[in-house]
Amino acid sequence: MPEATKSVWEQNAAPRHRIQWCPGCGDFAVLNSLKAALTTLELTPTEVLLVGGIGCSGQIRNYLNGNSFYGTHGGALAYALGAKMVNPELTVFALAGDGDTLAIGIENFVHISRRDPDITLVIMDNGVYGLTKGQDSPSAGLGHPAKISVEEHPPFLDPVKMALTCGATFIAQSFSGDPKHTTEMLVEAVRHKGFAMVNDFSPCVTYNKFNTYDWFRAHCEMVPGGHDPSSEDAAWELIRDFERREKLPVGVIFRKPREKAPAKRLPMWQAELEGIDLEPMLKGLR
Amino acid sequence: MKVNRMKLLVGGVQLRDGVSTITDLLGRILSRAGLHVMALERGFASTIYGAHQYDPLVITEEPAVSWGDEALDILVGLEYDVDPDGPEQPNRDSVFRHGRNLVDGGVLIYDSSSGAIPVDALEARGIRVFAIPARQIATRDLKKEVVKNVVMTGALFRLLEFDRDEQWLRRLLEERFGRKGPELVNLNLEAARRGRAAVEAILSQRGWSNVGYRLEPRPTPAPAVYISGNEALVIGAIEAGVRFYAGYPITPASSILEFMEDHLPRYGGRALQGSNERESIRAALGASAAGALSMIGTSGPGLSLKVEEFGVSGVTETPLVIVDAMRAGPSTGMPTKSEQGDLFLVTGGGHGEIPRIVLAASSIEECYSLIHEAVLLAETYQCPVFFLTDLNLGEGRMTVPEAVFRSGQGAVARQLATEQQAREGRYLRYRITDSGVSPRLLPGTRGGISKINSTEHDEFGFVTTDPPKRVAMMDKRMRKMTKYLQNDAKPPQVFGQLGKGPLLVGWGSTRPVLLDAQKRLQAEGINAAVAHFTHLWPFPTALAKSILEAGKPVIVCEHNYIGQLAEIIQAHTLVAVRRVLKYNGRPFYPAEVVRAVHEVTHNGATAVRLGGKDPVMVEVSTDA
Repeated sequence: MPEATKSVWEQNAAPRHRIQWCPGCGDFAVLNSLKAALTTLELTPTEVLLVGGIGCSGQIRNYLNGNSFYGTHGGALAYALGAKMVNPELTVFALAGDGDTLAIGIENFVHISRRDPDITLVIMDNGVYGLTKGQDSPSAGLGHPAKISVEEHPPFLDPVKMALTCGATFIAQSFSGDPKHTTEMLVEAVRHKGFAMVNDFSPCVTYNKFNTYDWFRAHCEMVPGGHDPSSEDAAWELIRDFERREKLPVGVIFRKPREKAPAKRLPMWQAELEGIDLEPMLKGLR
Repeated sequence: MKVNRMKLLVGGVQLRDGVSTITDLLGRILSRAGLHVMALERGFASTIYGAHQYDPLVITEEPAVSWGDEALDILVGLEYDVDPDGPEQPNRDSVFRHGRNLVDGGVLIYDSSSGAIPVDALEARGIRVFAIPARQIATRDLKKEVVKNVVMTGALFRLLEFDRDEQWLRRLLEERFGRKGPELVNLNLEAARRGRAAVEAILSQRGWSNVGYRLEPRPTPAPAVYISGNEALVIGAIEAGVRFYAGYPITPASSILEFMEDHLPRYGGRALQGSNERESIRAALGASAAGALSMIGTSGPGLSLKVEEFGVSGVTETPLVIVDAMRAGPSTGMPTKSEQGDLFLVTGGGHGEIPRIVLAASSIEECYSLIHEAVLLAETYQCPVFFLTDLNLGEGRMTVPEAVFRSGQGAVARQLATEQQAREGRYLRYRITDSGVSPRLLPGTRGGISKINSTEHDEFGFVTTDPPKRVAMMDKRMRKMTKYLQNDAKPPQVFGQLGKGPLLVGWGSTRPVLLDAQKRLQAEGINAAVAHFTHLWPFPTALAKSILEAGKPVIVCEHNYIGQLAEIIQAHTLVAVRRVLKYNGRPFYPAEVVRAVHEVTHNGATAVRLGGKDPVMVEVSTDA
């Protein structure tokens, strides 16, 4: 691994940005895993575009070197889609929380999974809206048996099942308590040619007193070695098996490269835009 | 005999009768023949099938000033009844709705396949009626119902003594169907001949030598296209360098998306049909941030959904051209009717304050030429640029000389930082500058990174709430508008002599009708002038004030209830204005504008509302 690449990712974004996460936040581990993954992938900050979601997790874009884009709540995947369509040479990440991705941004999660752009979505999943002081997110209730349901507190929404249903081509899960494994998942996600989702359980130490590090340690279980991630049936069976046993699978659950049309960078430099022939457009109007 | 000067209306049941098949065919053939066709008024409904649809065409030798009044010379009714004895008689729709607009001595031609229509009242006014069983001829004689419109076209051509040797029609049919073999061409030509013969029979039976109207091809027609505003806009945008377009299906902006999908890939670009309105604008913002000149298009309801992203474009300083083909609101409103109700939305929509520019095209040619300016302004000022058209302008068609598109305006000058520039000075995406415009290095270009941030930020792009930094950044962004007003804002286009009488003020698609009204007022001895705005926001106060002050009085004509431009003018120039307002879904007609001007000048009306039962004069006061 080249030293220069290593140091550029090891340091926080230049100029240094003060990190404003609670001590012990699961997002720290994701930040470190991302740095390690980007180093392993030998990417430079100019080659990367980090699109942040709104919430604690989206701040990660400022703690890393690399180009970033930050828009509105729920929009990260859509900005990422446009950027990647225009410039496939960029390595594009959407970095967002569970509220951003699964509530206000669910429309993008569903349809951009279908579109299968070559981008990596990292959900930092903690079950709460932390920044607004702990309201339930769609992934709240993880591990709670949903016996009596009321409209105010619907049952847990599983991003893994959602992604599989919507046609995502790479689905993995990881846990901030095991950053080495998270790093591996991130590297594999970026290397996957298509839409890759990594749902990382990143505990909120301030507002989620149920899904704690200890709780995740007791419930997370590696995807077994014999699992065939290229089979959708196997993926569903794995998900159901883990559900029955009240466990959470971490590892690559599904990976199926879809045939992708080769994408070229769109013309954007002056010389590429000049001197076009309008005749093909006028032809049909006579 | 009226030669090459008429208003013709084709009506029928939407989709079933193919109203636009005939008007499109007429528009193309007559444009080729050197005539000018203006079809800027569209009468269709928000259903796929079944409603009454009508398309008026103004046909002239020189470009028409406007679409004129409601009066018609020729009415073509395509309706028929599946069950002629049924209680519903839609085959009378065109005649019932538009027959009263036929001028004395005009012509009615209708499909009489399912029975004749009582026309005594029309004939009493000297209107010549041609009952042509077009559908019957098509189904019984030619065994192909779809050619019924060609039967009607042939009949119409015979009436107007046009294309006697079938040259124009044949050429168009060969281009369209030639690939499928000569049978289809011949069938269509035969259909046209049957139509001609049917008219011939009526002419000789009634002993008429002609109908008083004739179309004559021009001797050396200049090449022209029969084009819609949406198509002209796409051509202009692609020429300017737009390579990423996103839209979501919505009337009347869908055809921008379709035309982009047809052509953008040819130029290396991509057109994205968003899964929703928000995905469209967000993807376009991502695309713009990644380096492509980007554009989106929508109409009012879609624009409402995109409002939060206006702020993203403004604060992240990501250039974006936002086309709003306006339709009648609020909410779903009247989806197939035109209006100018979105001016407040584009000048003020969104929380907080951002730099933004609003342009409005006043003709199909301007859809082509002004969009170039919109792309350039977005690139220059790194902010959202709104481009307003409306349903009539976007979906309406007219003959435009091809020379307009050969002006070679080329791609806009890209204003991006290079690697060298970034390395020489320390690259700061949001550097505070005198002009307010900061250097922009595309992600992927070496020499620096961009932290593109919709949160308030410092020069590097990092989040800040530090009061001095916030003020500096807000001031920097807003300074761009000062710069724009100094360098790029334009005064209204002025027609006629200022200071001699009333000043008619408008924006967008109303320009033709205001010019027509001005002409008519001139004929009455009233020296009216017209000031028409294309550059609406930031409002060019310094450039417009003296022009507006010369109006005696200033009469702002708009398709909305409040008088949105009128409000802006009053707020910015302190010039008191009178308003002529129409929001019934129909365009202004010159005669009613003239009438409204009289209401203002003679009777002191401060606001005249048109298009209800009668012109309603309201808010009369003596001191305004």
